[in-house]
Amino acid sequence: MALARRFLMQSSVAAGVLADPVLALAAFTMPDGRLWPQVKVGNVKDLEQSKPVGFNYPDEKSPAWLVKLSGAAYEGAGPDSNIVAFSAICTHMGCPVEFVGDRFICPCHYSMFDPAKNGQVYQGLASDYLPQIALEIDAAGDIQAVRMSGLVWGRVSDAPVRT
Amino acid sequence: MSTYRRKESVPLPPKDAASYNTVCQYCNVGCGYKVYVWPDGAAGGAAADANAFGLDFTSPQVALNGLAYTESMHSVIRKRDGRDYHVAIVPAKDSPINLLGNHSSRGGSNATTTWSDSRSTRVRLHYPLLRVGDTFNAIPWADAVELQARVIKGVLDRYGSDQLAAKIYDHGGGGGGYENTYGTGRLLFTGLQMKYTGIHNRPGYSSETWGTRDRGMHELNYTAQDARLADTIVLWGANSYETATVFFAAHMMPNLQGATTEEKKKFYNATEPMGPARMIVIDPRITATVNAARKTGAQVMHLRPNLGTDYMLANAMARVVWEKKLYDTTFLNQHTDMKSFADYKAKSLQADRSYEDMLAEAERITGVPRADIEQAATWIAERKKGGFLQRTLILYEKGVIWNYRQYDTVAAIAQLGALTWSVGRPGTGTGRQGGHQEGYARPGYPGPKPPPDVDKYVQSGQGKLFWVIGCNPYLAAQNNQLFRKRIGERTAALGRFLSVSASQAGEPGSMAELAARILDGVEKTNGLFLTVQDIYQTETARDAHLILPAAQWGEAELCSLNCNSRLLRLYDRFMDPPGDARPDWDIHAMIGRRLEALYTADGKSDVSKRFAGMDWKSGEDVLASAEKDLYASANTRVPASEAGGLDPEGFKGVTYAFLREIGQNGIQTPVRMDPKTGELVGTERLYPTFKFATTDGKFGWYGTRPWDDHKSAAAVAKYLTPEGEQSYPFWFSMGRNQIIWQTAYHQRHLAEKAATIPLPYVEMSPEDASAMGFASGDMASINNEEGNGVFAVYVTDSVPKGMLFAIMYHWLGTANSLTSPYTDPMSTNPWYKGTRVAVHKLAGPLPSVIETTSFLPVNDFG
Ligand code: SF4
Ligand code: FES
Repeated sequence: MALARRFLMQSSVAAGVLADPVLALAAFTMPDGRLWPQVKVGNVKDLEQSKPVGFNYPDEKSPAWLVKLSGAAYEGAGPDSNIVAFSAICTHMGCPVEFVGDRFICPCHYSMFDPAKNGQVYQGLASDYLPQIALEIDAAGDIQAVRMSGLVWGRVSDAPVRT
Repeated sequence: MSTYRRKESVPLPPKDAASYNTVCQYCNVGCGYKVYVWPDGAAGGAAADANAFGLDFTSPQVALNGLAYTESMHSVIRKRDGRDYHVAIVPAKDSPINLLGNHSSRGGSNATTTWSDSRSTRVRLHYPLLRVGDTFNAIPWADAVELQARVIKGVLDRYGSDQLAAKIYDHGGGGGGYENTYGTGRLLFTGLQMKYTGIHNRPGYSSETWGTRDRGMHELNYTAQDARLADTIVLWGANSYETATVFFAAHMMPNLQGATTEEKKKFYNATEPMGPARMIVIDPRITATVNAARKTGAQVMHLRPNLGTDYMLANAMARVVWEKKLYDTTFLNQHTDMKSFADYKAKSLQADRSYEDMLAEAERITGVPRADIEQAATWIAERKKGGFLQRTLILYEKGVIWNYRQYDTVAAIAQLGALTWSVGRPGTGTGRQGGHQEGYARPGYPGPKPPPDVDKYVQSGQGKLFWVIGCNPYLAAQNNQLFRKRIGERTAALGRFLSVSASQAGEPGSMAELAARILDGVEKTNGLFLTVQDIYQTETARDAHLILPAAQWGEAELCSLNCNSRLLRLYDRFMDPPGDARPDWDIHAMIGRRLEALYTADGKSDVSKRFAGMDWKSGEDVLASAEKDLYASANTRVPASEAGGLDPEGFKGVTYAFLREIGQNGIQTPVRMDPKTGELVGTERLYPTFKFATTDGKFGWYGTRPWDDHKSAAAVAKYLTPEGEQSYPFWFSMGRNQIIWQTAYHQRHLAEKAATIPLPYVEMSPEDASAMGFASGDMASINNEEGNGVFAVYVTDSVPKGMLFAIMYHWLGTANSLTSPYTDPMSTNPWYKGTRVAVHKLAGPLPSVIETTSFLPVNDFG
């Protein structure tokens, strides 16, 4: 619960959804009702522009990219709103996307996603935007992945499977 | 976090979910889909034996081989029993079309387009609507039918059928299919004998491809496999990566990458060379297709003809083939008509003129370097090592069909195909890529060939009733601004007249009195009674007097075929239509039956009998009726060698039960009966023995019209003077893109799609943009004498300097406001893709659009 309150206080998106407690709850819990894992994925000072860093979120079966873009992103994190993170799996048929020239491109059928616009699929065969990972950055510059937005390809839930 | 509300999970269908086969509602490719429907609260489990997919979801699916079941493949609907149901619509893994369950961004979101009053599709039409003054009131079907039937009958009796006008779809897939094309045809053609009937995307009842049909070669003569077997693929005015997406990705791409060799071995001669296919793209733009083909690593040629010059390019390429003797004399002599060839040789090949001369002129007209013309012709027709014929698949689409002198353009490409024997052999074919799917079953059109231009007819004050069925001419008609203005004036004039008292607003209350008043009004005001029949309240509907709500894909069974294989399948019904909406065939049947009764009551049995037999209870009844009407005397018990003489979309003997049994495998039309067994069999290629659809079975040639610098398109030619070019400095073309389908009737309501294409846009070259101070996203006001509109600018190297390319239909402004009124007199088909415009910069971009919409170049794959 302490964790959830921290979101409500600090998350930049929280203000917008607070008016609707059900939506607010949905934003802070996974589809299975548990809280999203909080994972440190890097520090601002280690990020080089347009050099993506791989990590896994929300579990080890879900590869993702953290990247500092050359310009501001819609809902980007950091002082310049240019730090974003996305699932690394194409939402068309599951191939691993590559980050080239400030956008993600899939080698299989060339779907392209704009990381500055919520992963918008602006060309190609994919129907769904690339799932985005919400980030929080603390005073020390540590970057935390705090929640998914969108369904990672190949799964029926972003929540890690309980075994 | 997102521009739209996303999902982090989707429920699995339970093992006992109802399951159906269907086909994508959208494009020519016709990808197969499976539909699962189950009641809320009954989701399946992640274990393979606990869900209807039979797949293990306890760990993620494997890329490419696993099942794609994404956010937009699921939705919740409500049925007429008042309960909520889940719907999952996923690519069919067992389809021969979308191999491995491939799909595009359009089809992948089929599920989100299902109707629900809890989602954005709540704006579907639910009830018949009657205009009352300036509002629409819901009325029962019986009254809507009464009004429509009485107005039709009044016009028919007083003026004859020439004062009845309509625009109707002629395609398959969503909003079409045999059942619905037959329903409209039976009422409008057999019943009402309406020659002022135009087609959804063009002004008259024309074929888009008479240029090839008149040669005896139907445009859908190949099969999808030919794209996997070809040595050379030509895409002419066809941006296949965006408009036939899975055909490109699942059939052409593997061939470009050399991944179809094993398949080729089955069809090629033992010593015949084979390798990855080469591709020739002929398009003024550097389309996504050009660069996607290049990214595969294949050899790609790109020819960029000036707008409206393609037939001269095709003829020049044919001349190269002629000059270098790359044709096969035996084929020409045995399978083509050498009498008409003389005309072709004289006019199209210009054989009496020197080769040098002709090629130099072709380069001047088309802007394509002579060396490229020669090389492209060589790629198409050169013998392979060992003397084997090249296997070339030549596909064309709207860049050709909506061109200047489109009849000659289609003919020139068809003839290039025949000259190079690119038809009938595995890996060859010369025909259309396709736009929509097909599904045409109609009694004969009662008008002349070429047909009258219905848009201009109605605009000019002719016609008393205009019935717009499943199409949206306020976005799709050429010279659109004038069209809208004139139709608006005529419908408003009638509307004003309906007030009974000059000083007050009240209109007649009963349908009989209202119909009488309407008939009086169309006479006295030269007004127009407009009926719109559709699934949404379209732009055209804003001027309608009566709106009839139709069922869509999935809400009624329909039979259709794709373009790339003529593969016929049943698109099953899996949900109820909204409110009181009904299938188009059902609406036509109700009105037909009412007309039958009204004429019977009048004692006019000669007229009433034209409407007899429309007492259909189901789509299957309509199919049976169509079969009896169209194929009763057709002998389809013939071998494949005779298939060319059959109706290419013929379905004699096919029932819903048969189609349900064959499922995703479908059957390729024309459906034949095996001469030996009598079983229904499909037809792969239309002309496997090169017996064409002419009386003697020989391909017939046509000599083209001489080049006239676009003079016969006076409305465009008027700009092609030094002053004209100064006042209207840009060429203006238009077409589709990957994301929105046609008028975006669905996508405009889906937040994730609308946010991608929120505004009408034009592509502009970097040179022009910097000269005029445009950045991507800046708004431009674009005008010419025909019309004007505001577009977001999209800076891209796709278009050459001096040319703009606009998204063709957008709900915030159609590119057709600027198109000319020119049609090819041979076919009544417009040249939508070329006119001239001026550009004015407005005060920057719309800030909210710049923030949330990507303006990255869609043709740059890195
Ligand atoms: S390629 Fe065409 S038929 Fe296939 S899924 Fe996409 S829109 Fe539908
Ligand atoms: S898997 Fe990414 S585009 Fe097909």
